[in-house]
Amino acid sequence: MRPAYEDLFHLIEPLLPQVEKPSRYIDHEWGVLAKREARFRVCLMYPDTYEVGLPNQGIAILYRVLNAQEGISCERGYLPWTDMADKMRAAGVPLLSLEGAAPVRAFDVLGMHVPHEMAATNYLEAFDLAGIPQLSADRGEDDPIVIAGGPSVYNPEPLAPFIDAFLIGEGEEHIVEVCRELERSRDARLPRRERLALLARIPGTYVPALYDVAFDAETAPHGFAVPKEGSAAPGIVYKRVAADFAATDPLAQSVVPYAELVHDRLSIEVLRGCARGCRFCQAGITYRPVRERSADQVVAAVARGLERTGYDEVSLTSLSTTDHSQCERMLDRLNERLADTGISVSIPSQRLDSFDVEMAEAVAGGKKGGLTFAVEAGSQRLRDVINKNVTEEDLDRAMRAAFEAGWRRAKLYFMMGLPTETDDDIRGIARLADHVIDLAQEVVPKSQRGSVSVSVSVSVFVPKAHTPFQWEGQLDRDEVKRRQQLLIHSVRHRNVRVHYHDADVSLLEAVLSRGGRDIAPLIQEAWARGARFDAWTEHFDLGTWRAAAEACGIDLDQVACAPYRIGQRLPWEHTSPGVSQGYLEREYRRACDAQTTPDCTRASCTGCGICPTLGVENKIMEVRR
Amino acid sequence: MNEENLFRLRVEYVKQGRLRYLGHLELIHTVERIVRRAQLPYAVTQGFSPHMKIAFSSALPVGTASDCEWYDVFLTAYVPAPRALEALAAASPADLAPRRAGYVDRRAAALTAALTRARYRAVLALEEGAPSDEGRARDALVALCAADGIPYLRGKKTKTMSLARTLVSAELVARDALTWELALDTRSSAEGALRPEVLIRAWEKALAAANGGAAPRDAVAAVLAEPLAVAPYGIFAHCEIARISQNIEDKRGILVEPLPLGA
Ligand code: SF4
Repeated sequence: MRPAYEDLFHLIEPLLPQVEKPSRYIDHEWGVLAKREARFRVCLMYPDTYEVGLPNQGIAILYRVLNAQEGISCERGYLPWTDMADKMRAAGVPLLSLEGAAPVRAFDVLGMHVPHEMAATNYLEAFDLAGIPQLSADRGEDDPIVIAGGPSVYNPEPLAPFIDAFLIGEGEEHIVEVCRELERSRDARLPRRERLALLARIPGTYVPALYDVAFDAETAPHGFAVPKEGSAAPGIVYKRVAADFAATDPLAQSVVPYAELVHDRLSIEVLRGCARGCRFCQAGITYRPVRERSADQVVAAVARGLERTGYDEVSLTSLSTTDHSQCERMLDRLNERLADTGISVSIPSQRLDSFDVEMAEAVAGGKKGGLTFAVEAGSQRLRDVINKNVTEEDLDRAMRAAFEAGWRRAKLYFMMGLPTETDDDIRGIARLADHVIDLAQEVVPKSQRGSVSVSVSVSVFVPKAHTPFQWEGQLDRDEVKRRQQLLIHSVRHRNVRVHYHDADVSLLEAVLSRGGRDIAPLIQEAWARGARFDAWTEHFDLGTWRAAAEACGIDLDQVACAPYRIGQRLPWEHTSPGVSQGYLEREYRRACDAQTTPDCTRASCTGCGICPTLGVENKIMEVRR
Repeated sequence: MNEENLFRLRVEYVKQGRLRYLGHLELIHTVERIVRRAQLPYAVTQGFSPHMKIAFSSALPVGTASDCEWYDVFLTAYVPAPRALEALAAASPADLAPRRAGYVDRRAAALTAALTRARYRAVLALEEGAPSDEGRARDALVALCAADGIPYLRGKKTKTMSLARTLVSAELVARDALTWELALDTRSSAEGALRPEVLIRAWEKALAAANGGAAPRDAVAAVLAEPLAVAPYGIFAHCEIARISQNIEDKRGILVEPLPLGA
């Protein structure tokens, strides 16, 4: 039986004094929008703790949109931290929504945000705590419809058996259509199967139960998905795009948390999409086309947002804020307006090519911590392969200016295991880092040279679906270890510190990014063996996953490292951001020849196919520099 | 900003309901946001990372409620106190509602230093079936309050909470068979303040031993002999603690309101 929608806060209240950070669970924040009375209830859940999930802009947007709908109430949910989850299990308390403290299972819809691959076991943990069967096929009429959406749905197959319907792409219009359809079919008392089939008719909706996994000679073990015979489900589900981005409210955020968060500030999305065309980057494809908001709209939204929330920091967010054609003007106007209020403006990570120190100073407000640059590869050749249009001169100019302006610490990001990478490229990383130190010796006054440091952070490249590198396998573990040693031994300067992003994590990320529906039992097995919060270093244990893989007869290294052949059927080809296969193949070949491809917001269209396929276009305010 | 042109607005507010679980830092940031939402002309400090000029009364333990918390915020322009109060109320969650606001001397002592006297009330729900001999409880309380201090564990460290310096009086009233009320009057200094939950835990542990047959005095002595740990001792099912007043103590020992009437 479906549990009643009722406030069960009294069941968790006695547990609060016994757990870490009780403010995670208390709700009653400023700006809550959920309604008490509603005909249709949605719980949007972020598959991690409150502090990690609360700043999420995607959920903030959908929360606002849904609660603006007549008769629909949308609440939020987060995954209780392990201490609370264990106590709730012991006390027999089910997973509760935040605002109403009602059982998640009492909702009409449970909407799961899919932020990245490493949240896989957390969905299962949430279902288990909520008392909802983990497999879509096992759910009954009394269970909520489980939908999922977010940045990481472009290879949904490893999660397919757990989710009733994926919403691919931008959700602000899509989720309303889905909820209204579900309300209609619920009121018509249609059985669950039929209700899901009806959802598949809404563009952008992928209902895994309506697809079979097919295999041909070369696609084992992952296969590819095809609509079941007799089902009306589309062969390819294209992502949704918000029809007119600039017409949407830039001020999505309403809730102001009590708990101390890492990103505790007002966020205004100033621009969507990035067309620089880095060939390893999935977001660069899946968020196209590029759409800017006007400086006027942004400045007005910041004023309104600060008044509404009381924050003392505002962040202008996007994949590449400094690319905005009016970025400088926006920053100037905001800094002028916010002078003497103690309120600061920030923009996410700087990039080398459009970076200039003025812009950095404009946001730093006198604070000079570390500057972060994503260089990605150690040689110009390899940067051309990945289409990272950054030259050594760019790095020089930026670092020189930064040291002159008073910065002393720099963090350089690189990837290891990129296609065509050689030992020379690895030595190039060390050379660049040493070079930055040499530069600092020139620029920085002698007395301060001791405080100069460069940290080099290296992660293992994870090939992602719908990118020109989607056919590539991950570099195997032994080779990763050898190249890591090579890098460490190539660095000359003592003030260069080399950090490695955990290669175990990257391996699993590759498995979950590249596998097919056959990976789902592995996720279930790993959860059953205790894996949860895999995105937290202190919880992640590759050993658990290896044991689970063995029990499932899956070879993790094989899944992560085996390349796909160009032209073969791929496990993710039925959910598409609209990019054409021809474009990805062409880009892959150009990569192998170290030929770069320009940014279509600065040059003409480069033919990725997204605009014609989805009927959309880039919308830029002014000419970009 | 010339300090002399600033106005020092003193605000009393409650901390209750679920929001009594906020930690002190969480509370501080929340109140700062309330002040900004209320659009008061708050002053900011000079320097590289300017922040609001605001100061709070001493931290309340997480889980303890209060209807007498205070902060002083410096304003760059005079706003009539009733108007400021109204704006703050409109920008506050109900469980942190402001109660009073008024101006005090810009040079007055900081709240943490000035508010040395605090009274607490603890409502204790007795575990059903736990023997609850009020007389024995009173004896144990008297014995405990006579001690110099209580050693207790905070994390892995042993600390000692002074009673001699901090406890003014403790009084037990039985409301009914299952509910007791404990009223504590305390005095804080630079050396520290009384933590009501520690006193109550020590008392509960002694009661558990006394119920087992030990004389209340001996039970208390045993409790004081080793650092107190966080553990249920089976006497109280719930314990709701509230701070019910904070005062300034003048030289003659007379308690003074933090915000004089008519301020
Ligand atoms: S179709 Fe052309 S203009 Fe549109 S995003 Fe792709 S490359 Fe850019």
